[in-house]
Amino acid sequence: MASFFKQKRQVKQREKKKEDTGQSKSKTPDYIDSSISANLEKVKKKTGNSPDIIIRTLKIGQNPEIKTTILYVQGLIDNPSVTDFLIESIMKNPHLSEKILPQEALDVISEEVVSLGGVETVKDWEKLFLSLLSGDSIIFVDGINIALVASTKGGERRSIQEPSTHLTVRGSREGFTESNATNIAMLRRIINSPNLWIESMKIGTVTKTDVSIMYINGIVKEGIVEEVKKRLNRINIDSILESGYIEQLIEDQVMTPFPTLNHTERPDMVAGNLLEGRVAIFVNGTPFVLVAPAIFVQFFQSVEDYYNRFDIASATRFLRIIVFIISIVGPALYVAATTFHQEMIPTKLLVIVAAQRETVPLPAVVEALLMEMTFEILREASLRMPKAVGSTMSIVGALVIGQAAVQAGIVSPAMVIIVSITAIASFATPSYSIAISARIVRFGFIICAGTLGFYGMILAFIVLIVHLCSLRSLGVPYMTPLAPLNPEGLGDTFFRRPMWAFKERPKFLANENNLIREGDNQRPLPPESRGMKTSDEKKGEGNES
Amino acid sequence: MNRKRLVPLLMMLIATLFTTGCWDKTELNEMAIVSAVGLDRNKEGKLVGTFQIINPGNVAGALQGGGGTNPPISIYRATGDNVLELDSLASTKISRDMYFAHANLVVIGEELAKEEGLNDIFDAFERSPEFRATTRIVIARGVKARDIVETLTAIDKVSAEKVIKTIETTEKTQGKNISINLQEVIKNLLSTGKEPIISGFTVKGNTGKEDSMENTMSSDIEANPNAVGIGVFKDGKLIDWLDGDKAIGSMWVLDRIESTNLNLDWEGKKDAITYQVIRQKTNVGAKLVNGKPKISIKVRAEGDIREVNVPLNLTDTHVLIDLEKKLAKDVKKEMEVAIVRAQKNKSDIFGFGELMHESHPKEWKKLEKNWDDDTFPKLEVDVQVETFIRRTGLRNKPFLSNLKKKDQ
Repeated sequence: MASFFKQKRQVKQREKKKEDTGQSKSKTPDYIDSSISANLEKVKKKTGNSPDIIIRTLKIGQNPEIKTTILYVQGLIDNPSVTDFLIESIMKNPHLSEKILPQEALDVISEEVVSLGGVETVKDWEKLFLSLLSGDSIIFVDGINIALVASTKGGERRSIQEPSTHLTVRGSREGFTESNATNIAMLRRIINSPNLWIESMKIGTVTKTDVSIMYINGIVKEGIVEEVKKRLNRINIDSILESGYIEQLIEDQVMTPFPTLNHTERPDMVAGNLLEGRVAIFVNGTPFVLVAPAIFVQFFQSVEDYYNRFDIASATRFLRIIVFIISIVGPALYVAATTFHQEMIPTKLLVIVAAQRETVPLPAVVEALLMEMTFEILREASLRMPKAVGSTMSIVGALVIGQAAVQAGIVSPAMVIIVSITAIASFATPSYSIAISARIVRFGFIICAGTLGFYGMILAFIVLIVHLCSLRSLGVPYMTPLAPLNPEGLGDTFFRRPMWAFKERPKFLANENNLIREGDNQRPLPPESRGMKTSDEKKGEGNES
Repeated sequence: MNRKRLVPLLMMLIATLFTTGCWDKTELNEMAIVSAVGLDRNKEGKLVGTFQIINPGNVAGALQGGGGTNPPISIYRATGDNVLELDSLASTKISRDMYFAHANLVVIGEELAKEEGLNDIFDAFERSPEFRATTRIVIARGVKARDIVETLTAIDKVSAEKVIKTIETTEKTQGKNISINLQEVIKNLLSTGKEPIISGFTVKGNTGKEDSMENTMSSDIEANPNAVGIGVFKDGKLIDWLDGDKAIGSMWVLDRIESTNLNLDWEGKKDAITYQVIRQKTNVGAKLVNGKPKISIKVRAEGDIREVNVPLNLTDTHVLIDLEKKLAKDVKKEMEVAIVRAQKNKSDIFGFGELMHESHPKEWKKLEKNWDDDTFPKLEVDVQVETFIRRTGLRNKPFLSNLKKKDQ
């Protein structure tokens, strides 16, 4: 145990060292040289002479001609803006064909020539490379140690498409894309409020990935944004390739099969979550936006619950909870009942099950584990396979499991039914991440049921519930509003209260000074006269007035 | 607790889980599901047990095997001195563990019930954690218990199920049987103020062939188990059988009639009108009049006219009132006959004593000693019956009355 502490100390020391070196680097920034050839040499050296970095040299002014260089990365830039508004403007501008000093030239270019949205001046290399490699164009003018950065971000991107997860019948068809700018704009389009605040940062020492935090000022609980920022700033990693990287680096509890941060591809879902007081984390390069804090019941909610009427929404939520429980305990229940508690099965059913198990050479637990494994293999294989092979996969799977295995008497048809029901149940959970958790937990339950029967299952259940109650997401207890109990919050758990009764935002998420989201008396009522006014009544009204 | 202690502790806890092995685990194909137990007495006075074991593969409806050609049940027999000995002796003949949680039927041979009584049998059943307290009990009337357990039946493949269902159905539709379970029988055996009654069952037809598959091959089953009458017990021994009206009368007193048919003679024609009881309530009250116990029974029955084979104007209220009165008289007669029979048997099957105990606990202490032999046989029982005709079926006048008119 002593060695363990030693290790920790070593890690700390290592961290300290790293911080020191990082600070020393940032203290002495590398500045741009005034000579264009030296600068270009440096760029070539730093980028390893990569061919996608285009260097376009122009000559401006007369007597002497001033060498000007435009640098950009092929594919990252918007081609028309670079050719039309940058190169063409510089070449054809009358001011630049006159006699001009290099200092003036830079000002002229930035103020008069370049007809683009954003033009900045940059002095140090670090910022220059960041801009260059994120799609901006750099303009060097010979003899000046300042570079111009023109915003020309563009290039090929996936257009906005229907999301492939969280499908709904009713609701927006838009899904996030891989570009942060597009994604943020999609949210802006939904929430037209100046209080929709965004903060950006770059994470990843190599990838320098654009990560943005979005929240609604005034609705978000105090401290949550700071907490998120604190956790994001702590991250010191070379790369962020997907929001999953961030998720794993900022979650509260590591040792759990359950997701403590939610992710989604749907702008309307993010908007709904922001309006409840949550924080969204956009990561460039993925359509999956993180939403935090997450609570357990949230994974059973679909945006469509709010679009449908409350009775239908409540019924579907109830179904999802049942489905989740089935997907966890389905095979375990069968194993426990058939190997330990045969008295609990009605005689006729028992006879049928017994007849099927007559030829099966394996114990029920082994049979259940085997079938569950087979199903997991099938699922995984059909996910990763090229689509062309996919259909072969399902035919072989169906034949092998559904037919041959049963006919050979290796597995019983009852077990196939149980595994299929469980499989369907695990796909009926709206959130994919909680469905995966259920699949892992299921194996634990099967083993418990196979060794100790219902008693073992109850033990496993207790452990599961205690574990769920111990989880937190950004400090918010995972099982709220169930444990700790929040009676008002219960209106949006297994049951969704009617829209006209949704008076307040959840207390455990939103800012407590700004909870009211709906006016009083929102319950729709029929007109008092029910639109059956007779002509006499109309006359009477007229007289009164 | 720090990590240093927690980790080994957790590992130990997890290890205990695996060292236990699979606690009381039995796979389905390692056990023999017993569906019925038959108990007889042989000439030497020993107990003969017959165990009906379900052969799951041969029960139709199951996927494999198909059923049909092989018997859905297998029979194992053992002779011994007590029930547990039977169990262990039978086990030597079966490859699997006998599992009694689904034994829903216990058949007791008439001879055993008459001569030795039930008192020595039931302890093993009640004590066993596997055996259900809701297991039905029947008496094999005129045949051995093994005959009923062995019989192959047609619609319900497992004959135990057929027996149980038959009793339940006849109790529900006729009121001629009583479906009684282990727990109730034991309760009644213990009670000084109530004696148990148990349904009788027999096998009719070609009783030599009941255990072969041929029995079920024909549409007219050669040997078929039938429900017959109700057995009356005294001090744990079978003393009498109640049949037909006496059985129904007893069921009226016991308030266990759900539905039954009453046949009424009309103007000399026997059983001309059939009345079907659809709901009824019997209230039994116990009183002490001048220190003498008195029982008053009030019955309120409601039902429909289901068959009228005499020209009768059923639209006439007076006719209906007449009918109701006659019906009430009939029911009263049935009940009184049943009560007289019980008093003759000196067996308080109706639980009048229990009722007395409940209403007059102090006086009961005195009455208790002589209840069965002295007080109950001389008990004054007052029966009041009220019947009500709810409907007369889909027609008012029977078509017979139209025929009569034509003749005129």
